[in-house]
Amino acid sequence: MAASNSSSKLFRGGLSNNAFAGSRPSSELARLDFLSQQTRTFIQMRTNLKVVDNSGAKRVMCIQALKGDKGARLGDTIVASVKEAHMGGKVKKGDVCYAVVVRAAMQKGRCDGSEVKFDDNAVVLINKQGEPIGTRVFGPVPHELRRKKHLKILSLAEHIA
Amino acid sequence: MRLEKCWFCSSTVYPGHGIQFVRNDAKVFRFCRSKCHKNFKMKRNPRKVKWTKAYRRLHGKDMTQDATFEFERKRNRPERYDRNVTENTLKAIKKIDKVRVDREARHHKERMKGKKEQLRKEGVRELDQSIHMIKAPAALLEDPSLTIPKLKVKVSQDKAEATRMEE
Repeated sequence: MAASNSSSKLFRGGLSNNAFAGSRPSSELARLDFLSQQTRTFIQMRTNLKVVDNSGAKRVMCIQALKGDKGARLGDTIVASVKEAHMGGKVKKGDVCYAVVVRAAMQKGRCDGSEVKFDDNAVVLINKQGEPIGTRVFGPVPHELRRKKHLKILSLAEHIA
Repeated sequence: MRLEKCWFCSSTVYPGHGIQFVRNDAKVFRFCRSKCHKNFKMKRNPRKVKWTKAYRRLHGKDMTQDATFEFERKRNRPERYDRNVTENTLKAIKKIDKVRVDREARHHKERMKGKKEQLRKEGVRELDQSIHMIKAPAALLEDPSLTIPKLKVKVSQDKAEATRMEE
């Protein structure tokens, strides 16, 4: 998946060279714009995720996806390392903690056959038992969390997608 | 189960179809197929894209206000299941559909009224002004009845001319 992303970027680079040489700006730019639609994939090691609770962390990097050989999806738990944190929060930079993915840019199939996708990749930090560390959750969360028994997060959420 | 409307083209999204995209401000966009989804990702405005219902309503091609649209309003209150109510609702849906289709056909007819007259007028104007594209003005001066190529006599004359030209 990462290879396909990087290859699409290389292709973009190639096209832009041709565009400047060929002096047909509008059509080339339109094609470049179309190519910039990415294929969204799993959350794996080294994936940066946004933290959407008030536990103190701002950004977190995935160390391990606990289930799934290709990576974590919407609703899965991951092990993450805190990369950026607010001052005086419950977690600080460098902490290793568990987290549950509440928004994923990759589409997830629902049981009625449709698919959902969100705008970004976001997590809520939890402890080993599955309870959230923070006391508030921001943004929409999916109701896939109900199946995974993260009812506390659902109760804290402001909008359930 | 609920039948949603596609955000881009306003067609119904049946269960098992389409993608829903949840933006971070919790606004949900439902799309019926990847065509609409891709247009959305390209940031196209559905009111400017010719084949969408939004464009057609905005430019008066389709009906905007009608009593039949009131029946399709979204209701958030769950109804207790009653067999008779369900049966009557299904019958009513069929009738309302027929009424709506009839009204749309009428709207279309009203819109296209006067089209035949307009085409005829344009044809006459074209015959008057642009006949030089078909027949040379010199030929017209010889025989002024050459403008209307419908007469049978005309055809034989043309053929005779053509044979003379070939010779």
